[in-house]
Amino acid sequence: MLLAQGRWRELLARFGLLLALVVMVIVLASISDRFLTTSNIINVLRQISVNAIIAFGMTVVIIGAGIDLSVGSLLALVGVIAALMVTTTSLPVWLVLLLAVLIGTALGAINGAFVGFAGVAPFIVTLAGLTIFRGATLVATDGRPVSGLPPVFTTIGYGTFLGIPLPIWIMLGVLLLTYVLLRHTALGRAVYAVGGNPEAARLSGIPVRRILTFTYAFSGFAVAIAAIVLTGRLNSAQPTAGVAFELDAIAAVVVGGTSLAGGRGGVWGTLVGALIIGVINNGMNLMNVSSFYQQIVKGGVILAALLIDRALSRRTS
Amino acid sequence: MSPAATPGRSSDPHAGRANPAATPPQDRTVLRMINVVKRFGLFEALKGVDFDLRAGEVHALLGENGAGKSTLMKILAGVQPATSGVMTVGGQEVAFGGVADAQAHGVAMVYQELALAVDLSVAENLFLGQLAPFVSHRRLAERAEPLLAKVGLDVPPLARLGSLAVGEQQLVEIARALGHQRRILVFDEPTAALSSGETERLFELIRKLREDGVAIVYISHRLEEVFALADRVTVLRDGAHVMTGAVADLTPDDVVRAMVGRDVVRFEREPSVRQGAEPFRFDYHGDGLDPGQLELLPGEIVGVAGVVGSGRNKLLSTLFGVGGAAWLNGRAVRSPADAISQGMFLVPEDRKLTGLVLELSVQANLSMAILDRLTRAGLFIDHQAEAAEARRWIERLHLRPPEPKKRVGDLSGGNQQKVVVGKALATGPKVLLLDEPTRGVDVGARSEIYGVIDELAREGMGLIVASSDTEELVGLCDRVLVYRHGRVAVELHRPLDDKEVVAHVTGARQVA
Repeated sequence: MLLAQGRWRELLARFGLLLALVVMVIVLASISDRFLTTSNIINVLRQISVNAIIAFGMTVVIIGAGIDLSVGSLLALVGVIAALMVTTTSLPVWLVLLLAVLIGTALGAINGAFVGFAGVAPFIVTLAGLTIFRGATLVATDGRPVSGLPPVFTTIGYGTFLGIPLPIWIMLGVLLLTYVLLRHTALGRAVYAVGGNPEAARLSGIPVRRILTFTYAFSGFAVAIAAIVLTGRLNSAQPTAGVAFELDAIAAVVVGGTSLAGGRGGVWGTLVGALIIGVINNGMNLMNVSSFYQQIVKGGVILAALLIDRALSRRTS
Repeated sequence: MSPAATPGRSSDPHAGRANPAATPPQDRTVLRMINVVKRFGLFEALKGVDFDLRAGEVHALLGENGAGKSTLMKILAGVQPATSGVMTVGGQEVAFGGVADAQAHGVAMVYQELALAVDLSVAENLFLGQLAPFVSHRRLAERAEPLLAKVGLDVPPLARLGSLAVGEQQLVEIARALGHQRRILVFDEPTAALSSGETERLFELIRKLREDGVAIVYISHRLEEVFALADRVTVLRDGAHVMTGAVADLTPDDVVRAMVGRDVVRFEREPSVRQGAEPFRFDYHGDGLDPGQLELLPGEIVGVAGVVGSGRNKLLSTLFGVGGAAWLNGRAVRSPADAISQGMFLVPEDRKLTGLVLELSVQANLSMAILDRLTRAGLFIDHQAEAAEARRWIERLHLRPPEPKKRVGDLSGGNQQKVVVGKALATGPKVLLLDEPTRGVDVGARSEIYGVIDELAREGMGLIVASSDTEELVGLCDRVLVYRHGRVAVELHRPLDDKEVVAHVTGARQVA
């Protein structure tokens, strides 16, 4: 009986989130007949793609018991750098995109080095990053959007493959990459170990500082990809893009069941978390709920998810 | 049993002063604990212990680790309730519902680890928990001064606590315990972190408190302190009362004899030292650890004994490249990773704090130190190889339940310890450092771990075992190094004798 109860709990803890999503979808489908249409589903997926890509990187950071508040600003900075490179230099577009990804990764790694090697609290480091990256973006553009981009960008933002928009494919690609990293590489396992118990990891010979640095570099990498997608969607680079995106990303991760204490969670949960937030937004839009109320509902859902997660993960030992 | 039964024997100088109705003149007993039992699940930590304490005495409470000293005192301080038994304070039967309840009855405890807020001022620490909503620092300082004067601490009351030396912080803790007219003060190994000057000051203070009529319980592993300070001694062993006596009537050897000798079957093994083989030579020095050398032969088990703060705890972590400096055969050990690459592994003292990642599975913990060996293309985990490795150690260590996917945090203490050992063995070390290898481990798992240690020595591994459990050291080791004040005080060889080890560890040899 006890065992059976334990099984139930385990199942709930594992698939409870998915269940919540399914319930939400059923409720919305019964309220609005526009909700469960192919075009609306694709719409939702495309809407969440930028947030989800950022959140996948954030998942890695949070499993390592860190936090990255700089993602929104970094998103704007990388977008602007890519746009400026492509409009003011004669570099080929593919090289510009590659450089943009490298720059995002490198800036993330700098965040990470402050956390891993200088031992500064992640909250402080990435809060500083948040303002510095934003400032740098405004300096580089004088506060004005960069437009006149080559057609490659609109292709990324609006093109389709097999009838599905490219941003969704890109999101799935980053999802798969993050999943393989976390579940099938020694590096990913080390992230769990460092997040779960850094001292035990160190005594097992794991290079804790380098692993921490890596997690922020990976977050920077994901942000750079998201920046390219967003720039494509907007067909311009906005220096004010991405404000408060860190909050949506963290929300997706946390709603997805990854523990802020580190060492526990995964990227599938984050996808479901991002979907839940996306479905709530979409559903409320369909029902013409004011965006002011939407924010309150979203906050409530995040709180509820945390409370449920807490209740389920409280183990008796 | 009634104290009034022996009226003629009183030599109490204050006998005529007290109110005879409240406390009979010849009886200065302020605390009685009668037949106290404490069970944790099936484990009986206290098996019906009697203890009494008089006003104006220092009563030393002795016993090896696990004897039940702390459990008994936690019941007295209201930290946990007794399973059964009677406790009277000032002749009145009490059952404390919590620490505040015990404090209201005049009982306070000074813990070994300081329980203070380092970023608050000295005065704020003194009155923590009784601060008014608006704190006037000037008034707080005024109230703090007499308390600080009482413990002889001359620091500004508004100084940040963290700016004080450890000994001074300890005095703040005592001053806080004195805060409300205490009748009973419990000191739990108060000198573990103190310098000898600070210790002397503390003793003066304790003697002064005794003159003021405070009843003091003094827990320590250092017999020289007990003989310098205490009036009476009570010894516990395996949760039972062994003896109580006046210090004046006892010798250190009497006390040691009472402390050792457990009823469990002792582990015994044949020596497997490979004489003439090339030894592992360690050089080391560190914080609280004098420069020293240690040679270890393949197949040898060397024990490390000593009280808290003696260097026993520091030695193994230093050798493993954590803090301090160490060399193995002349080559510097720069970090744990470096130590592992040189063929060492440390099974740390606290498996939950530093040994395991509790959220991860048994398998992930077992493979943690050898992941680089279990990857394809240096990147992807070979899950099959990992599972095979996990199965191997689960079988060899008789892990129960034998489920590689189980979360380590859900295992029993003994099985968790086996996982830590398995993780260490998976690296194929030549030298294994074990810090308290069986602390908090049940009897069955304990003998299994001993069996594994024996096997490893037989296979030619060199092992260093640091332990506060004398029986364990005597049963396992070929020789035992006793550390005192950061250096080896004495080296004991087979045949090892519990009493001799304890006598050296506690310093009874120095007292006698």
